[in-house]
Amino acid sequence: MTNPIPDTELVPAVDQPALDEPAVDEPAGTDGTRAGRATWRAFRRQPLGMISLGVLALLVLMSVAAPLLSAAPASFSVDVLRPPGGDHWFGTDALGREVFAEVVWGARQSLLVAGAASLIAIVVGTLVAVAGAYVPAVDSVVGVVVDLTLSLPVLPLMILVAALAGPSTTTIILVIAAFSWPEVTRLVRSQALSVVHLPYVDAARLMTGRHGWIIGRHVIPAVTPVIVVSVVVTASRAVLSAAGLAFLGLGDPTVWSWGRILYEAQQSGAMVNAWWLTLFPSLAILALVLSATLLSIAYNDARNPRNHDR
Amino acid sequence: MSIALFVLRRLGRGVLTVWFAVTVTFLLLRLLPGDPALAVASTNMTEEARAALLTQYGLDKPLPTQYVLYLGQLLQGNLGTSFTQSVPVLDVLAQRIPWTLLLTATALVLTVVVGIPLGVAAAAHQGRFVDRAVQVIGVTGQSLFVPSVGILLLYLFGLQLGWLPIGGAYSQNVFGFEWYGSVLSHLVLPAVSLTLIQLGSYALTMRATVVEALRDDYVVLARANGIPYRRILWKHALRNALLPATTLIGLQLGFLVGGAVLTETVFAYPGVGRGIYEAVTQLDFPVLQGAFLLLAVTVVAANTLTDIAYGFLDPRVKAS
Repeated sequence: MTNPIPDTELVPAVDQPALDEPAVDEPAGTDGTRAGRATWRAFRRQPLGMISLGVLALLVLMSVAAPLLSAAPASFSVDVLRPPGGDHWFGTDALGREVFAEVVWGARQSLLVAGAASLIAIVVGTLVAVAGAYVPAVDSVVGVVVDLTLSLPVLPLMILVAALAGPSTTTIILVIAAFSWPEVTRLVRSQALSVVHLPYVDAARLMTGRHGWIIGRHVIPAVTPVIVVSVVVTASRAVLSAAGLAFLGLGDPTVWSWGRILYEAQQSGAMVNAWWLTLFPSLAILALVLSATLLSIAYNDARNPRNHDR
Repeated sequence: MSIALFVLRRLGRGVLTVWFAVTVTFLLLRLLPGDPALAVASTNMTEEARAALLTQYGLDKPLPTQYVLYLGQLLQGNLGTSFTQSVPVLDVLAQRIPWTLLLTATALVLTVVVGIPLGVAAAAHQGRFVDRAVQVIGVTGQSLFVPSVGILLLYLFGLQLGWLPIGGAYSQNVFGFEWYGSVLSHLVLPAVSLTLIQLGSYALTMRATVVEALRDDYVVLARANGIPYRRILWKHALRNALLPATTLIGLQLGFLVGGAVLTETVFAYPGVGRGIYEAVTQLDFPVLQGAFLLLAVTVVAANTLTDIAYGFLDPRVKAS
């Protein structure tokens, strides 16, 4: 019987540098693929991890197939604020639009923003972290900037920037990415710092002066597991941030998103009476963020060689 | 000797963080695409009016000069003038900050009071039902969207059951004790929403640190000496686990403030967060900027104070 919720420490702040794990002392290559396969075998045995993967796949499928599932939620009708039923699966909003269509089409925006923002944050965050670990002079600056940024209230800062730059999908992606990379850097940095001083990296440094090659061949593969986990963490944070900005009226007004459904419900004054206006987008946000979180926990657990087949 | 140095160092770090926030804000305001005049004035005005405004705010001067002027203004407590209300931003925010402090402090206390027993209970029953339950609550709690939680509570307890008021911070036309009672009843739902989204990560950290502490040698020794397990758990292990948990609270203060912005918006609670929401609707940039700086200063001050307090309580902190 596998443990449905593993004992992994969920808060990275108390994580010790994981020196006993293969990711650190094992060079990439054939061994890496073997470890990857063992991780996948261990992962498949975790019911919660598989369910989360299924939910995520379903949400992605839903956003891709949105035009097939429902017409774009633009047509107004006289069926205003109808509760959910046979004709209107998720009910209708204050202007008679289908909430089902809004949720389905909103999945596209939420996944796009989460994906794009976390991709940018991951690339920038990893590069900064690795550069810092490799060049000590850079590291002291990186450490201070990351500490300072993380101790500020980020949402009010995002609000200020989004309001100044004007609400658009690009703005939101860039704003969220701009304030998410320090968290990635914090996670990757501690791992990278422990890797660059391992003997095989020192050996590589004796062999070649091409630092780009050493970083690409040895340092990046060693921090990949941390990157995978921080992709998930960053993406789910990005979903919440984007929904938060949209809920305050800073979402892209031309595209549907889950946060915008909640914002319009609040604006129309129907928020507290028409429960279906807020329930369905809320459930969608919860499903996306919760399954992403559970997925990262299951991955972390499966990666641990102690949980592999003996 | 070392205590004075320790306090000075923490204060220095606080000042550095505030300076960083101010500089980031300055650079964002000046370097973002778009007309800086738009950031201080409305969109429809004549060319002369625009030029006059630029001169008035010193925006026609070179960037470093502007920066020094900006720092000087902030040091005098001048956060600019609100577009919509034509009063100093500091005055607008000064009436709001007590409500935000009340809300976040209540949520913080509730999080700690509920989170510590949850984490300790989970750690004490590792792998058993209590532990699983706490972990499920913890992981789910980390995934909650603040407005969703707020709206749900509002719907259940405010509307359906009618137990608690659905918005605002106090009742009109009541005085004395009754007024304090109304403040309390208006506080319950926003504070509980804010607590629910914080509780998860706090309980999980508490659990992880207590589990760690229970493996230490002094616990083995205490058990060998026949000290009751409950006493070891609550007196020895918990005390040693409190430091990382407090550090986490510090790290999460920024997140808590972000949650407060959304919670206050849902409950029309008259704090800084609701002020931000209203300023967004009216594109009142000076208020948005002032709100961020004020919240940043508050968070940094709270963080510095807890750091210093902990230095006095735990000698290991000062040593490091």
